[in-house]
Amino acid sequence: MAYQKVEVKKPLPLIVLPYISVIAFFGLWEMAVRTGFIPDTLLAAPSTVVQTFVDKLSNINPDGATLGQHAWTSIQEAFIGYGLSLLVGIPLGLFMGWFKVVEGLCRPIFELIRPIPPIAWIPLTVFWFGIGLTGKVFIIWIAGIVPCVINSWVGVRMTNPTLIQMARTYGASDWQIFKQLCIPSALPMVFGALQLALTYCWTNLVGAELLAADSGLGYLITMGGRVARPDIIVLGMICVGISGAIIGFIIDEIEKKLLAGIRR
Amino acid sequence: MSNNIANETIDHSRNKEAWTLKRVLTNTYFLNVVSLVLFFLLWDYVAKERIFHDSLARPLDVLNQIITLVSIKYAGSTLWGHIWASTQRVLIGFFIAAVIAVPLGLFMALNSYVNAIVKPLFDLFKPMPPIAWVTIAVLWFGIGETSKVFIIVIGSFVPCLLNAYNGVRLVEPELYDVIRVLGGSRRDQIFHVCFPASFPAVFAGLQISLSVAWTCVLAAELTNSRAGLGFLIKRGMDTHKPTLVLGGMLLIAAAAWLTSQGVGILEKKLCPWKRSIENL
Repeated sequence: MAYQKVEVKKPLPLIVLPYISVIAFFGLWEMAVRTGFIPDTLLAAPSTVVQTFVDKLSNINPDGATLGQHAWTSIQEAFIGYGLSLLVGIPLGLFMGWFKVVEGLCRPIFELIRPIPPIAWIPLTVFWFGIGLTGKVFIIWIAGIVPCVINSWVGVRMTNPTLIQMARTYGASDWQIFKQLCIPSALPMVFGALQLALTYCWTNLVGAELLAADSGLGYLITMGGRVARPDIIVLGMICVGISGAIIGFIIDEIEKKLLAGIRR
Repeated sequence: MSNNIANETIDHSRNKEAWTLKRVLTNTYFLNVVSLVLFFLLWDYVAKERIFHDSLARPLDVLNQIITLVSIKYAGSTLWGHIWASTQRVLIGFFIAAVIAVPLGLFMALNSYVNAIVKPLFDLFKPMPPIAWVTIAVLWFGIGETSKVFIIVIGSFVPCLLNAYNGVRLVEPELYDVIRVLGGSRRDQIFHVCFPASFPAVFAGLQISLSVAWTCVLAAELTNSRAGLGFLIKRGMDTHKPTLVLGGMLLIAAAAWLTSQGVGILEKKLCPWKRSIENL
């Protein structure tokens, strides 16, 4: 029998208020710029931003690439760095959680590197790899690896001790316990890391592009600042926000599909 | 191996084990020392062999650079001045954000009308990385202190608010029931259950905010500033001095670590009821 859906009635104001608040926000923003309360050299009205958006889809001025190209550069960098950090970080975290030797060897270095904000690596990566793809991928990799390692480590550590004892009683080897018990029980935490790492990667991508880049959404924002076009800055910020939100949503859906049935 | 989590009852009596080679080799402290020594040796080797040409400094050179900065003024102030410039910005921004965001988050979770008004706006701004605000902050406030503090406030606002909000929402409903059975009012529920139970989450949010704040101050200082640790790194980048860059990185890591320890101590003092995961 299918579950019966329980409908909770919300009072009318609670349904309407969110829409009102968003509309009021955009309305006030538009009004403030239109009436000159905030000069248009400081902030662009939403309508101007939409116009710029349509324009930038095909126009390469003033920063040398269309919006699509910028977005593509950013997404490419983000995904290569993100993929690499998952590839290295999750196994490393899992091993660190279970094998004492790995933990002893990797933890001090990890603790040393962890508090350095990834953006601080930018000058060094510029020295080492130039301002191309490699440098940014490196920064994003560093940014994404920290939550991956921590979450998979904690995930293994939080394995139910009773289960481990039981496996020991039945004569399972260390490796068997790790493979068949610790990894599955760490999975929800690991998936938590996917979201977290993505946020970190996306934030630091923007930072990397603000400082050292020749294309990408962060570069679009910088150029908007350099030519004093607030509409381009706001457009860049909104694009970064929206694309981050979309990628986050996709990962959330994948997570739901893969983790269906595992209690969180 | 991993006895401390595999056994729920831990045998505290110490029985002496013989110092076998295997036991020495798998000792945690021994491994820690080995890994750090290897790390610095590798770093030194890579720098000495000039694999990255002259773009990586040897560890001792970096240390020397830091010591020099302590005594000699660089760009108008000594090292302490630069550290203080950055720390001051972080603390001001962090404080403003915490003072606004935590009460707002708690309020949002307690009152559905406030939630209905603020949440959609918050969701609009949430996915925007704080660093993306750097450019527009400069446009609005110039390159002085205000723009840097503004970015830090924006950056630390989100985790503070989110954690305060979720902390209240994830309070176990049984606790409310207990208060209700004991005849408490709504006020008692809020002050005796809601706030204490959500404090650990609030503090976790503060910790995240602090690390975000350091990232933000760095981004702001790298783009434009005349003092601060980010300025040292930027100057090192412009004049191609890897010692300065690496020194700045290490100092900012140390400063970030120290402030987060500070918040950790405050947390232990203010909410001792927090249950923490062992060993992390």
